Amino acid sequence: MTMSIFKSVCFNVMKDLGAPAMMGISDLGKKKRPAKPGQYYGPPLKSTHRLKEIVKRHYFLSRYASGAKPVAWVTSGAPVELLRAFDFYTIYPENHGALCGAQKLGSDLCAVAEEHGYHQDLCSYARIDLAHYFSGKTPVGKLPKPDLLFASNNICQTVVYWYKALAHYLKAPLILFDTPYNFKEIADYDLSYMVRQFEEMIPVLEAVSGRRFNYSKFKKFIRISKETSFTWGALLATMKTRPSPMTIFDAFAHMVPIVSLRGLPVALDYYRLLLRELNERVAQGVGALKNEKKRLMWDNIAIWFKMRDHATLFAEHGMNFVTATYTNAWAETTPHMDENRPFESLAKSYSLVILNNNLNSRLKLMERLIQDYRIDGLVIHSARSCKPYSVGQYDLKRLLMERFALPSVIIEADITDSRFYAEAQTRTRLEAFFEALEG
Amino acid sequence: MAKMFMTRKEYLTTQKKRGRHLFGVFPAQYPKEILWALNVLPVEIWDPPLEVTSADAHLQPYICSVVKLGLELILQGKCDALEGFLFPHTCDSIQNLASIVKDYLNLDTPCYFFYHPKAPDRASSREFYFEQLKNLVSRLQNQLGPLDLSELNRRVKQGRRLASILSDLYDLRANGSLAASNAQFYQVIRQGEFLHPDDFVPLIEGFLTASKGKAAGVPAVVLSGVLPNPPELLTLLDELGVRVADDDLLNCSRRLLIPCSDAQDPFEAMTENYFAMPPCTTKDSSFPKRWEYFKRKIDRTGAEGVIFCLVKFCEPELFDVPQMVEALKKTGIATLVIDSELNHGLSGQLKTRVEAFVEMLT
Amino acid sequence: MDCFAGIDVGSLSTEVVILDALNRTIGYSIVETGANSTDAAQAALNQALVTAGISSTHLGITVATGYGRGSVPWADRKVTEISCHALGASHHFPDIGTVIDIGGQDSKVIRVGKNGKVLDFAMNDKCAAGTGRFLEVMANKLRVPLDEMGDLSLTAETEASISSVCTVFAESEVVSLVAKNHPKAEILRGIHRAIVNRVWSMAQAIGVEGPVTMTGGVAKNRGIVALMGEKLERPIHIFKEPQIIGALGAALIAKKQGCRGTNA
Repeated sequence: MTMSIFKSVCFNVMKDLGAPAMMGISDLGKKKRPAKPGQYYGPPLKSTHRLKEIVKRHYFLSRYASGAKPVAWVTSGAPVELLRAFDFYTIYPENHGALCGAQKLGSDLCAVAEEHGYHQDLCSYARIDLAHYFSGKTPVGKLPKPDLLFASNNICQTVVYWYKALAHYLKAPLILFDTPYNFKEIADYDLSYMVRQFEEMIPVLEAVSGRRFNYSKFKKFIRISKETSFTWGALLATMKTRPSPMTIFDAFAHMVPIVSLRGLPVALDYYRLLLRELNERVAQGVGALKNEKKRLMWDNIAIWFKMRDHATLFAEHGMNFVTATYTNAWAETTPHMDENRPFESLAKSYSLVILNNNLNSRLKLMERLIQDYRIDGLVIHSARSCKPYSVGQYDLKRLLMERFALPSVIIEADITDSRFYAEAQTRTRLEAFFEALEG
Repeated sequence: MAKMFMTRKEYLTTQKKRGRHLFGVFPAQYPKEILWALNVLPVEIWDPPLEVTSADAHLQPYICSVVKLGLELILQGKCDALEGFLFPHTCDSIQNLASIVKDYLNLDTPCYFFYHPKAPDRASSREFYFEQLKNLVSRLQNQLGPLDLSELNRRVKQGRRLASILSDLYDLRANGSLAASNAQFYQVIRQGEFLHPDDFVPLIEGFLTASKGKAAGVPAVVLSGVLPNPPELLTLLDELGVRVADDDLLNCSRRLLIPCSDAQDPFEAMTENYFAMPPCTTKDSSFPKRWEYFKRKIDRTGAEGVIFCLVKFCEPELFDVPQMVEALKKTGIATLVIDSELNHGLSGQLKTRVEAFVEMLT
Repeated sequence: MDCFAGIDVGSLSTEVVILDALNRTIGYSIVETGANSTDAAQAALNQALVTAGISSTHLGITVATGYGRGSVPWADRKVTEISCHALGASHHFPDIGTVIDIGGQDSKVIRVGKNGKVLDFAMNDKCAAGTGRFLEVMANKLRVPLDEMGDLSLTAETEASISSVCTVFAESEVVSLVAKNHPKAEILRGIHRAIVNRVWSMAQAIGVEGPVTMTGGVAKNRGIVALMGEKLERPIHIFKEPQIIGALGAALIAKKQGCRGTNA
């Protein structure tokens, strides 16, 4: 790709002057959003303001990235530390999809993809992303075209099919980091395969980015990533307190930096800020809910278009989500990261993520979370779009029930396609669940 | 017409009596020669004729019927005589099915897993596949005893022979020189899902010889998808006088028509064969490669239409369909996309669609 | 002189069209299919013969189409309703480019070429959403006569949003809206919008080209036609009797076959 000096200058001007100015201006005319209904909630987190700035700035700068920096579209589980070493500006279509879902644009965008022949039974993140390609529609202004597509199938095989379609339409090179599934254990030859793939990637990354591979830069980014992940883990751990200083619904929103900005100092700084605030709350006994009667665990990705409604519904019943397998995933495999064995440790850490790991491990993980966080009940989101997460949940529920006699409920829904959500029917299930917990 | 003289159940019983180890193998691609060399008879599980009752307690409604029926077969106790299961890593649903069976069902049956690399064109993929083959052997040896390398060589040669005859069969059919109905053709091919190669090779050879002749039926179509399903589709096409001249089916051509490697080392030969196989969505084959392969079929058969017969919820296939359909339309080839649950026959609505499609061609 | 009959046996209604040798429609009928398709076909044929003023001995070739085409044992040939709608529509409008048929149990979009040839088609035949059945279910729920739904929906200025993909769940949504005292006309408009969107989505798979017509019983619903025209940004041509287009196409095929026979 050809870098333009002009575009580089523009990007830097926007980064240092434009973004702050834009955010200052946008704050002025803004109608102050009504604070969450004070009735059930504790004081809102102060750090959220900074999070919003970070996300806004990221998407604002995205409009100027094309031509200024090499741009990569990346899957959430890909070893982005390697891309950071080549100074790629990264966009996460899954994050963009979640954003569209949260803004209730999911079903309209999915319909656009369906009109182009993409079946409604396909993952809705993929359909939204393809719809964005076909129509240009996005709530974030403009997404920069990728110079590179970078995917890892440690989260699912769907990204393989999806990114292959993107590569076809966008005519961009695609690098796949192929992680063998951990059926029983990751063998030595699995690890060598993954390390070998890293070696094969480097010349391609150099060619696309126009930069030489810098080993010490790479190590630096691994270091920051690891520290960020530890900090994320530490702030999640504050939720073991009773009452928990944060809800998982908040945590879902606060995930953006660890997913989309992992390896960058801004993410680490933010989590240190958030951790400080959470520690203060713990010290003062401030809870996310005024009255935390029951502590719950959420399984699977969020139902992005229903988060606010569900947060209110559960808060009304004094029920707080204090842990989730989804948020935990970004802290779970960090111990494997080691800047002194960068390729091997990245291979380990990325291939052992929850969705690339056998269901026995998942059961043990959930048992551990239930005990550590003192969980009273379990809500399982059976997400139509996400087969690796969802297939096996029925048995998980049964086995956890046998082990802990824990009330649990399954919600059949989707991550962003609101057409697959039956309001009345889901309500009924949740109400039965509340009765089981409260009764 | 080549037909087995005994039912599948009877055949498996006699095989077991002969001392063969019966393994249940899930779709789709796996190193058969290794199993044959260890005296294992792979019994493939694609679409057992069952009604799904028990599997719904384990699998959501949005999971495909290949996986559901496979699990149902196990849950109904019909796999109790099997000495092992092999799960190739074909897709997310099979991946998790494998883990449900191994981790959650409390069965004594040993479960084996075979991962095939998803980026097919890299040197690392080949090295990995080669290592995996060796690793599979050592895992199987723990249960089945040592592998005799000369036996493996023999089976690799046999696999070559089988692929060669199947290739000839496909060529004849593409040329219009195979006088067999659509239904017959697939009925014979699919017996390879459970017949031992010692029995399957002569069966196919016999079928090839017996069926040489002028094929009936113009126009010609190509089938694409996972399975030639539902079988009622094939009978309907026969009734309408339409000839299936070739296919791009995972269950059939995509894993059977292997160009032959002449490497001396059997593991190298199997590796080369794997990477020379036709392109497939489950292996992350690029669209240009798939299109090139497909175009050759259209050209050599003179087919006027393509029917995508998909199993409902099949992600790998559904992601590629829009690009395939677009490319076919540009070349003036008519397309029909049908997706169905397995074992539900051909509904009136689907029948109408197929008939309307054929009316378009004629 | 020989006449030709086309019989369209649908899930809800059965139509017959009789053509003379000069391609003139000399008689037609529409009857309820009821429980027995064969009886319905016979009854419809008898009625059409009466309006045509001829007896069955004057009939040359008969072609059957529709969901129940297999239940017409005396038919000389069976052809799908896709081909018949395309041919029937182009008989009245030789330039027609796209036919949208929303029937009782399925909906289809057909791209038509010269001489009524089918170029491509898409069908929604798996679920009730986007079909006449959806309207029926809702008419029942809202206690509005089916034939008044369309006009009533057009009186609303805004519409309630119905988002469920499934008819059963959409029904639940409507029940909630009624419970919240939402104006009926707005709910109706939302229901009509949902159907139009479903069908439009399906149409995108094959593309909408040239002049558009709607056939089938639902084409008589002015609300659907108006919203569809709005969505497609072009006028929709409607025949005075859109329900018989399929049978007309079948009769035209019968005539083509009959003439071929006599010429041979």
